[in-house]
Amino acid sequence: MTSSAIALPLGLASKSAPGGEAGLERDAERAAIAACRRGEREAFDALVARYQRPIYRLCYRYVNNHEDANDLSQDAFLKAWRAIASFRGDSAFSTWLYRIAVNACLNHRALKRPLTQELPEVLVDPRPGAEAEAERGDEARRVRAAVSRLPDRQRATLILKIYHDLTHEEVAEILGSSVGTVKANLFHALANLRRQMGATGEARS
Amino acid sequence: MTHLSDESVIELVMGEGGASDLEHADACEACARRVELCRGALALLQRADVPEPSPLYWEALRSGVRQRIADDKRRASAWTLLVPLAAAAALVFVLWSGGAKPPAAVAPSLPAWSPLPVAEEDDGLRVLEGLALTADADTDWDEPEGLSAYVADLTDEDSRTLAETLRGQGGES
Repeated sequence: MTSSAIALPLGLASKSAPGGEAGLERDAERAAIAACRRGEREAFDALVARYQRPIYRLCYRYVNNHEDANDLSQDAFLKAWRAIASFRGDSAFSTWLYRIAVNACLNHRALKRPLTQELPEVLVDPRPGAEAEAERGDEARRVRAAVSRLPDRQRATLILKIYHDLTHEEVAEILGSSVGTVKANLFHALANLRRQMGATGEARS
Repeated sequence: MTHLSDESVIELVMGEGGASDLEHADACEACARRVELCRGALALLQRADVPEPSPLYWEALRSGVRQRIADDKRRASAWTLLVPLAAAAALVFVLWSGGAKPPAAVAPSLPAWSPLPVAEEDDGLRVLEGLALTADADTDWDEPEGLSAYVADLTDEDSRTLAETLRGQGGES
């Protein structure tokens, strides 16, 4: 199969059982990975196209700004390209890629402190309903900032479980921990987040 | 009463909890509060989506990845050239610095022949000295050809024998 023939659909990898459309997607992904291992960069481009959105969003939730998220996403894909020969297929490609991205984020956080914060929007939008929209945007920003202040492990668990809809087992595999630890970290992450928001009078449950 | 573990609370929040945990949460105010705390946080998180970048951004991201891979390959190629060069330079340096080293100390070679030390108490020498003095004084005496060389080649033992012989002859005369 030539690399130019590889066309992968955009979006998250399907979790449905083999066969049907999901099975075809998986076959295409396997073919792309095999082509990458032969050094075909076009095949890797197809994999990037498939996973760029979830990886970017994962990184954004870690660093809470576009510039660093963009840099980290590219960094994660570069590391994946370098290491793709060592990918054995024991776990799903998406799990492997998430692990690389999470490690890139953790290293970035270790090197770059204090946290980068989003700047508040100061421009007033004159459209009808714009005020309510701005308020919602403001709340979203505060929640993202609160997430970015969580301890590393709790934040990683929360982002992967809540925003990427992974199973407890998948999160455990990515973070190299047990399912019990994942659940405990998730509990503490949610409780900390709720307390942080509540402490500043911003909670709206 | 044993309260729900953190893990059980999460299972309830995620809709994965067992019937007994659910019953406990209904009956226990403290555990019900913990479940509500987590549900409230989840509701907040669902309202905090990541801002969606421009559709053009995704092509820019892919282009950035392509560029980084190309740069990485270029750097790797440079290293594959530099490493053998560095190795060759290191080898040249080692050879050069080895040549500049002072030569290793060599044991001084002994001459093939060395004269034996003169014995302090050698009677034969005194006899020979006497003969030489006699020869000097007696101008009529002609040294037989090759005598000096013969005497010089005598061993200590031969010198001693010769001296005794001459001493005996001297006593007789």
